[in-house]
Amino acid sequence: MYILIVGAGKVGYFLARRLSASKHTVSIVDKDKNICEEAAKEIEALVINGDGCDPRILEEAGIERADVLAAVTGEDEDNLIICQLAKERFHVQRTVGRVNNPDDEHTFAELGIDVPVDSTKIIAKIIEEEVSFSDFVNLMSFKRGKLAIVRVDLPSDSPVINKEVKDVKLPQDSVLVSIVRGEEVIVPKGDTVLKPGDDIIAIAAIGNEPQLLNLLVGKL
Amino acid sequence: MYVIIVGCGRVGSELAKLLSQEGHNVVVIDKAQSSFDRLGGTFNGLTLTGNGFDLSLLKQAGIEKADAFCAVTNGDNTNLISAQVAKRIFSVPKVIARVYDPQRAHIYAALGLNIISGTILFASMLRDKIIESRFSSYLIETKELGIIEIEVNAAWADKAVQEINVPEEFLVVAIRRVQGIIIPGPQTVLKEKDILMAAVKVASLNKIKDRFGI
Repeated sequence: MYILIVGAGKVGYFLARRLSASKHTVSIVDKDKNICEEAAKEIEALVINGDGCDPRILEEAGIERADVLAAVTGEDEDNLIICQLAKERFHVQRTVGRVNNPDDEHTFAELGIDVPVDSTKIIAKIIEEEVSFSDFVNLMSFKRGKLAIVRVDLPSDSPVINKEVKDVKLPQDSVLVSIVRGEEVIVPKGDTVLKPGDDIIAIAAIGNEPQLLNLLVGKL
Repeated sequence: MYVIIVGCGRVGSELAKLLSQEGHNVVVIDKAQSSFDRLGGTFNGLTLTGNGFDLSLLKQAGIEKADAFCAVTNGDNTNLISAQVAKRIFSVPKVIARVYDPQRAHIYAALGLNIISGTILFASMLRDKIIESRFSSYLIETKELGIIEIEVNAAWADKAVQEINVPEEFLVVAIRRVQGIIIPGPQTVLKEKDILMAAVKVASLNKIKDRFGI
């Protein structure tokens, strides 16, 4: 794939390095001359020094051939504009925009950015998970926040202990994906029996997680 | 009208004062508190410090009841994003963004945003002033139509406006004479030294100039 990355700070730089190592064609645009020189030395990629909000610079970086554009500068308005130019002007299939300020995530979605990536929120989530004593963790949301992958630790007093999966009446639009039991990963079938301490990974439509939690843990 | 202005630089503050003096409800948003000094002591609108596309700040500014929204910070991208937020998320009826970069101005105008590009405007204004002493196209923001000024000489004096108009090409819209401005009807008679202001198709400009000997 041809991937155009705008912004070669920490995020852009490591992204470019990883993608180019996995044999993708990568081009990089950054405003800062020193950053560009550094990137050109270290990464096998076309590096253009210039403002990624300028359509001519994007053309120079080969946007017309790009399958994906990732705008990962430190400015949300720039990332938004770069993604919009890529979509509207150059018809790039997929645009990924880095959200610096979590408050702007909704705006990214509203203004047509295919994949808004909110690093602050992701890190906060991971930390929250690590410090959380709760049995229920929302691992990630996708489809613009309509679906969530959740993890539930089955407590010993759970109402579903020793039940078979087929007898567990899941809320609408939710499905059990896997059960982690010690070192073992089980793909649940109808006759799989749930045990205390099982780590259940499930997908649920946003809004249905409370029912799912209620069912699996027995409380909210 | 309820108007929100993002950016309190020279243009933003001037606009805010103008509208507020006319009795409109004005809210001005700027990142820097100190920018509001430009508004002076008589401004009686509201000021809010922060980012012009921050949804909660915009709600605080009353965007849900705003009639118009104007983004005039010194950042093109900030203006373009703020304007899109106002238009797409809050459905403000009238949304205008100032954009310096002509390329981005053209692209976003084509996408349906109401854009004013000072750069394009001033460049074409200056061009007209240098090249065409009596013709300007900048007012109408199109390359097809312009406004031309013509002084009536003896040859055209005492003729009626309808004899001068050329359908599809040239139309007198106003006459400036010592007594003031007249909006002419077809029968209005021209006097020597009248200044005609006429709409002219750019494609017919040379033909019209020849006709009047300018």
